[in-house]
Amino acid sequence: MPIEWSETMQEAPEKSGAFSPVAVLRLWPHRSLTAKGFVWFIGITATALSLPLIAVLGSVVLWGLLPFMLLALAGVWYGIVRNQTDLSLNEVLELSAERIALTRHNPRQSDQHWEANPYWVELTLHPSQGPVENYLTLRGSDREVELGAFLSPEERIMLYADLQDRLNALRR
Amino acid sequence: MADAAIHDHGHEDTRGFFTRWFMSTNHKDIGILYILVAGLAGFISVAFTVYMRMELMNPGVQYMCMEGARLTAAAAGDLCTPNGHLWNVLITGHGILMMFFVVIPALFGGFGNYFMPLHIGAPDMAFPRLNNLSFWLYVAGTSLAVASVLAPGGNGQTGSGVGWVLYPPLSTNEDGFSMDLAIFAVHVSGASSILGAINIITTFLNMRAPGMTLFKVPLFAWSIFVTAWLILLALPVLAGAITMLLTDRNFGTTFFDPSGGGDPVLYQHILWFFGHPEVYIVILPAFGIISHVIATFSRKPIFGYMPMVWAMIAIGGLGFVVWAHHMYTVGMSLTQQSYFMLATMVIAVPTGVKIFSWIATMWKGSITFETPMLFAIGFLFLFTVGGVTGIVLSQAAVDRAYHDTYYVVAHFHYVMSLGAVFGIFAGVYFWIGKMSGRQYPEWAGKLHFWTFFIGANLTFFPQHFLGRQGMPRRYIDYPEAFAYWNWISSWGAFLSFASFLFFIGVIYYTVTRGKKVTEENYWNEHADTLEWTLPNPPPEHTFEQLPTRDMWDKQTSH
Repeated sequence: MPIEWSETMQEAPEKSGAFSPVAVLRLWPHRSLTAKGFVWFIGITATALSLPLIAVLGSVVLWGLLPFMLLALAGVWYGIVRNQTDLSLNEVLELSAERIALTRHNPRQSDQHWEANPYWVELTLHPSQGPVENYLTLRGSDREVELGAFLSPEERIMLYADLQDRLNALRR
Repeated sequence: MADAAIHDHGHEDTRGFFTRWFMSTNHKDIGILYILVAGLAGFISVAFTVYMRMELMNPGVQYMCMEGARLTAAAAGDLCTPNGHLWNVLITGHGILMMFFVVIPALFGGFGNYFMPLHIGAPDMAFPRLNNLSFWLYVAGTSLAVASVLAPGGNGQTGSGVGWVLYPPLSTNEDGFSMDLAIFAVHVSGASSILGAINIITTFLNMRAPGMTLFKVPLFAWSIFVTAWLILLALPVLAGAITMLLTDRNFGTTFFDPSGGGDPVLYQHILWFFGHPEVYIVILPAFGIISHVIATFSRKPIFGYMPMVWAMIAIGGLGFVVWAHHMYTVGMSLTQQSYFMLATMVIAVPTGVKIFSWIATMWKGSITFETPMLFAIGFLFLFTVGGVTGIVLSQAAVDRAYHDTYYVVAHFHYVMSLGAVFGIFAGVYFWIGKMSGRQYPEWAGKLHFWTFFIGANLTFFPQHFLGRQGMPRRYIDYPEAFAYWNWISSWGAFLSFASFLFFIGVIYYTVTRGKKVTEENYWNEHADTLEWTLPNPPPEHTFEQLPTRDMWDKQTSH
């Protein structure tokens, strides 16, 4: 599941010397190509593309073929990398006693940021009214933002339960 | 921050006709467009062959006269000087259209675009607008190819008659700009295919549904991926080769001209380095379709999923190391010929794995003979016949006798025309209910199959005999001794053409008046890929919520 919690200690803002726990949640959309897979694919493609070039080594015809080979290799490389960038969209939620902050890292656009006091934050699950099934939103600081719209509906239900528990724990 | 959008209603299809079909970025719409344009190009290309078979029906020249091409046979008293240029233009046009503008666009562009993303549970292609560009480049290429037939060419007539392989010096010496248009046509189609391949590769690698590892992908999606990879590796070679032809023709370079130090045989090597993978590009998607059809109508999971996948990869790989078996007669050394002969025969191993796996899938299955299954079994038979003659031709010594005879024509039409085209028809009948929401009349599909199966065999089987008798290919006329089988072959071609016209009627009837199918999976539970979980036709957007594993993983082998 493309959801990951990590807990860190952070110095309290008022320099009291106290440390308060910060939980960081990272969410990202599903993608099926691994970095290793990309290397394998480009490696095999480059090797296979150079095969016919061996036959024309030392002939002027090499210079007729080479640009097209490189163009094809560059094209598929660029395509995959660009798609990886498109899928590099991710959301980071930081949750501590005094502050809840959500940062959305958009591909090729500036990041979007929202923060509020977790005590007043309202987490809502919209089973059917949202653009996606089980749409998840956070309301706070007079603004409502979405969370994990790119996850699957089941993942959002689990995330909803988990996050609600954590928010409840903070309010105690 | 993405502000919440709770009351969003942006999911109705509000596109107008022009926006939907002319500016489409939707993989399903683009797939349908590909199939339609490929059908149109196919009709033109088939019309050429019917005219050629009319001419070849009897010895002597009755239709393609210098005095004007006729639609009725010239009587004994009429003046008819044979017009060899017209004949050459028609075989060139038929070859170029079929190789670049009919089969690949229908199978790879059409079915690949429509069903590959559905099979892997992706919402669309990775680059929807690039997909649109690929399609329109293909349309532009088709137009250029047709324009080249009508543009001023060699021998003071229109069109160029050099064969689809565009061998120099024939292609570099052909007059007029018809030849240049043909080269541009192939260029543009190549660009279209490479962009499409990049799109498909990226989609396949990066957008598979969660949990769908490479060896859980349905066989059709695999076949499209292997095809895309072959296109990416092979077509740049062709692009380079024909660019050099273009500069040889127009800018005085001598890449392939011996008088300037060039080598025309080198062109043949480069062309076939592309050309042999090309025939696998043509046939592999058909393999994918046939696998699904046979599994569905045998009501069994496909036999040996892993060997099926590795066989496709092996066929793709081997396709790059056998090219010179197309040119045994150009004067290669004995060692070279022995290598290409053995390498070629090795291809029979993965191909055999596929054929036997299909047969094993049917073995003890609960088989029903709906039209797609008939076409799949037809494919199996015809492709095997073509494969066996391929083994015959792979022998360098035997090829000395068969080279450039009708035996070769029969061989490659059995594997490609009958193999790939039966694959296309199997796909059309298998999926038309899914694509259009209406089902074809079963009797009409069956009638189409039987007329086409008989017609196609009647056309091409006698050509084996003609080849063995020594009739050379690419000639407008022949001695009276070859008349008998030519006459039969022509009747087969007319029957096939009639069945094609009938097929167009069936499709028209189905899309406009066919019985509506509401059941999502209208075949049976062994059609278990993801498209069968969608309504007929699928909505504009599919799998925006990625499919879950239980939707596609039936614990069977695909």
